[in-house]
Amino acid sequence: MIGSLAWVVLLLPLAGALVLGFSGSAEPPKALTRVAGVGTIALSFAATLVIFFTLLGRDADDRALTTTAWRWAELGPLRIDLALLLDPLSVLMMLVITGVGMLIVAYSTEYMNHDRDYRRFFAEMDFFIFAMLLLVMAANFVFLIIGWALVGLASYLLIGYYYDRPSAVAAAKKAFVINVLGDVGLVLAAFVMAVKLDTLDYAGVFGLAPEKLGHGGLIPELIAVLLFVGAAAKSAQVPLHTWLPDAMEGPTPVSALIHAATMVTAGVYLVVRCNVLYQLAPHASEMVAIVGAVTLFIAATIATVQEDIKRVLAWSTVSQIGYMIMAAGLGLYTGAMFHFLTHAFFKALLFLVAGVVIHALVGEQGIDRMGGLKKYLPVAWATTLVGCLAISGVPPFAGFFSKDEILARAWDAGDLGKVLSIVGLVGAVLTAFYMFRMFFRVFHGPEPEGGYAHAPHPSGPAMTLPVIVLAVLSTVGGLIQVPTVNHWLDSWLDVSLMADPALEASHATEWRTMTMSVIAAAAGIGLAWFIFAADGGRRRVQMAGAMPALRRFLLDQWRFDPVIDDAVVAPGRDLGDAAYRGFEPYGSGGLVRGGVGVATAAARLVRATQNGLVRMSAFGLVVGLIVVAAAMILGR
Amino acid sequence: MGISLMYYLLVSGGLFALGLAGVLIRRNMLLLLLAVELMLNGANVALIGFSRHWDVTDGQIFALVVMVVAAAEVVIGLGLIVAVYRQRIVLDVDELDQLKG
Repeated sequence: MIGSLAWVVLLLPLAGALVLGFSGSAEPPKALTRVAGVGTIALSFAATLVIFFTLLGRDADDRALTTTAWRWAELGPLRIDLALLLDPLSVLMMLVITGVGMLIVAYSTEYMNHDRDYRRFFAEMDFFIFAMLLLVMAANFVFLIIGWALVGLASYLLIGYYYDRPSAVAAAKKAFVINVLGDVGLVLAAFVMAVKLDTLDYAGVFGLAPEKLGHGGLIPELIAVLLFVGAAAKSAQVPLHTWLPDAMEGPTPVSALIHAATMVTAGVYLVVRCNVLYQLAPHASEMVAIVGAVTLFIAATIATVQEDIKRVLAWSTVSQIGYMIMAAGLGLYTGAMFHFLTHAFFKALLFLVAGVVIHALVGEQGIDRMGGLKKYLPVAWATTLVGCLAISGVPPFAGFFSKDEILARAWDAGDLGKVLSIVGLVGAVLTAFYMFRMFFRVFHGPEPEGGYAHAPHPSGPAMTLPVIVLAVLSTVGGLIQVPTVNHWLDSWLDVSLMADPALEASHATEWRTMTMSVIAAAAGIGLAWFIFAADGGRRRVQMAGAMPALRRFLLDQWRFDPVIDDAVVAPGRDLGDAAYRGFEPYGSGGLVRGGVGVATAAARLVRATQNGLVRMSAFGLVVGLIVVAAAMILGR
Repeated sequence: MGISLMYYLLVSGGLFALGLAGVLIRRNMLLLLLAVELMLNGANVALIGFSRHWDVTDGQIFALVVMVVAAAEVVIGLGLIVAVYRQRIVLDVDELDQLKG
């Protein structure tokens, strides 16, 4: 019963996308678009809830099931089914995708109301949700990869939503190229698994891997690294992170759904899903953890100097995903999923409130042209405060528990864990600082010079309600897993984590980390308050010129873009140019042109016979007849 | 046994050669069509001759089929000639050389 419901969950958004996408060339009435766009996602969410509560009512061992539609392909020993997997991990992802997705799509009905191509927006959003669901519900690597690639396509379409703006097109292209790079890694990993294990089903791979591949060998390390190439590209980890901040060219709800709450966490999902493989590959796991820690630190520093409200949030997203990847690399799979869950709430919240602010200021995104908005937008002020407290890790908001769990358990997970835990703590200070820098500069401080051209107007209910729901979730979402009190998420995910090292922090570490992270958050918030709010923003102006070299370095985003351009893009382009000039005219081009030349010369020879005279043709017939007759007679 | 096969074939070959010469030499489209008819009927004579020689009716049936096809061909051919005539007036086939390569 819930097996067929899984197909309903998956196919409803696709139906919405197809109906909206292929309903003729005229823009249908907006009410219809809303029903098709939001209604399908809402129904999909309802079905997911049914699945969730059904599984919740079962015994823990009975919570995973596979539903197969038909055999997709049979290649030698390799059997690939079109099958969906429902287990605690995928259901958790489905809940977030459809639930947060529904809130964001509902929000968009108002946000996009005066924008162009209303219907196209919802068609693409629905398509994205379908692709993301396929990614998390697939029961084998083949359909994971298909979902993975479709998600990349949906992201491309939505980043390039304003397709006549060159910067949006460039950003979409960049995101797509980097995502495809990740796809290649994933496909290569699948090849290795198919060759070594003769199966691509999760059940088969994870069941056979421990005995067939062994622990710590070259093959499991190779698979884990290749998988992580895919994960890093999708989840914007260093050095494949540069596309995510540029992706803010898309409409704000897109940033909230795709580039904060769901798609970019696909890499975290992949690592957690493949926990068996990562437990077999200790070096690759360490690399994953280190990449995550490096990413979280770099992104957090860059976020402290951004002047565009959406780019602050984008870098913050990169940084927070760094926490999740770091946790997954250290074997803290529950911690990674916990932070994914709370991050989906508070980051979607922050993006949607940013959308409220942008909407109120008629498209303005620079935080230096904001300020003093508290009195115009009280609801946005309160909800942003909730989001900022949650992401900074202030108890009892959601981010406190998830971040604390990662840092505490990392501390007790070996030497590397200790180092990374400290990096995470430094990152927590930076997180609190950059979030409250944004908060104070947008809502407090002086109004921009000359005031606002139009008085900022609060949003309607369609935008306000999702924001409030997410604010509530950001407040209480952390209570599903409280140290020493409640381990709901641990026990829920237990079935999916076949190789969970089940790392637990000692009580002493638990308390020390909690204290430290509260101090870290307080330090960050205090510093932000001191600079940006304490004396009405004057200190900020005084300090604007301080440390110009560091500031420029951070504004250049650690120079990743120019370095990647010089190291990868330019050589590639030069190689192409050289081949175009050196090889093409003589090599492949010569082959083509030579063939054409031969054919032309031959044609010139036989052309004389084609003089267009009917009698010549008849004569040809007669000659041919005589030749054939002669051949028959003589050949007898 | 009546007339021997030899004479049939002589008449047939003569008609066919006459028609072929016409096709190759004449330039008037109408005469071309006539020449083709001559060739077809030359072949028909041969078919009838063989039919009698071997005393089977296949050849006669075949000749009837050829006549039907020839009639159809004449209809189309004349139609084309009329169409060309309306377009260009000249009926000289050597003038119609647009297919020259």
